[in-house]
Amino acid sequence: MDDSFEKDPERRAESGAIERLLKETDAVRAEILRSAASVDWDALPGLIADRATAANARDARPAPAPRPMGWLAAFRMKPALAGLAAGLVVGAAAMYLALKAPGVRNGGNDAYFASGEFLDRAELEMARRNTVDYLEKSQYMLLDFFESADEGPVGPAALRSERTRDLLQKKKYLNAQLDRFQMAKAKAICDQIETLFFELSQIDGELAAAELGRIRGYVEERQLLLKINLVKKELQSGV
Amino acid sequence: MSEVSTAREIGAAEIAALLERIQAGDREAFMAVIRLYQQKVFVMAYSILRDREDALDTVQETFLRLYQKAGLYKPGSSFQGWLLQMAKNISIDHYRKHRKKRQEWETTTPLDDIPVAAEPARDGDSAATDLRHAFARSVDTLAERQKMVFVMRHYNELQFNEISEAMKISVGTAKSLHFKAVQNLRKRLAPVLGIEP
Repeated sequence: MDDSFEKDPERRAESGAIERLLKETDAVRAEILRSAASVDWDALPGLIADRATAANARDARPAPAPRPMGWLAAFRMKPALAGLAAGLVVGAAAMYLALKAPGVRNGGNDAYFASGEFLDRAELEMARRNTVDYLEKSQYMLLDFFESADEGPVGPAALRSERTRDLLQKKKYLNAQLDRFQMAKAKAICDQIETLFFELSQIDGELAAAELGRIRGYVEERQLLLKINLVKKELQSGV
Repeated sequence: MSEVSTAREIGAAEIAALLERIQAGDREAFMAVIRLYQQKVFVMAYSILRDREDALDTVQETFLRLYQKAGLYKPGSSFQGWLLQMAKNISIDHYRKHRKKRQEWETTTPLDDIPVAAEPARDGDSAATDLRHAFARSVDTLAERQKMVFVMRHYNELQFNEISEAMKISVGTAKSLHFKAVQNLRKRLAPVLGIEP
């Protein structure tokens, strides 16, 4: 049994993987312990007990004497009810003013109205989607590029392909959106990708091995593919 | 986790007596319970919040709530499980309340400061750091119940019966959630561990 286990590389790899998982669990536990070690556990109970006593004393204070117009207290004590009542009053007043305003009943302006805030949110959503699309296409482009570089020399046609031009073009359009919505992190990664694509499009002739190594180094050093994934996920989750 | 375990195990009768004294406003009894369980509550909170200060806030909040609700404990059930369940709920509330702040931090942090994974190899140990970050992220993204069982089993070193009491699930469900958690972690970390997903 042990012998077959030793010989089966899949099971060996599996067992190694679980072992490393457990090691990581221990590492996290060690991190928690390190953090716990810096806490003054002797002082904490006293501190908490003081807070509990203070909170108790606050709760034990006598209730204020009833005031005249006591029925209003019900609204004071129930914020939801009071909010609803206030909403009704404000809403009715707003409706009255709106209907009284000249020109409203003439139906002269039938254009669809959307608030500025709504439009801003819609534009932000568009910016997010465009950025995700750009990151996705760039990611595929980079993966394809490295794949074809592994298979053989990369010619100028591949370097200055339509895809590269499209992505450079798209980035120009994206810049304004990234700036407007202060998507600093996405902008940083998009800028790095743009630099890379720009350099690729400037290379004359076949891509030399040294040049390819430099580009690979650039991507790996900046963990470009990993960061593309992370930023993409963050944007997709609407963070 | 022997380093953070309580000074001594305490019997059900003893804890019931302490809780009764707490209800009567006995400060010493309250402090005795805090001393016994504060580190376990810290581990639970830290596992969820991954921040020392936030975890300490949660420890305080948990015991303050215990002070108010000591009378709700049902004798016969696991006190530790009940308390950890309370700590878990408070930690999750705390996490949700502060999520917005975290997200703001995440969107304004420069790209190169994001703790995505290992920094470019400097000391030859980048693979280990990579795995560490990937592991922490993967535990964070487990489904809530799987994550809780994993945390209680491995960081709090609770037995499955204690986990089942804390989470109000059966022992079988606790075991099954643990199994799923390990499988999911293994699957998510497959690329870093160098195995087939």
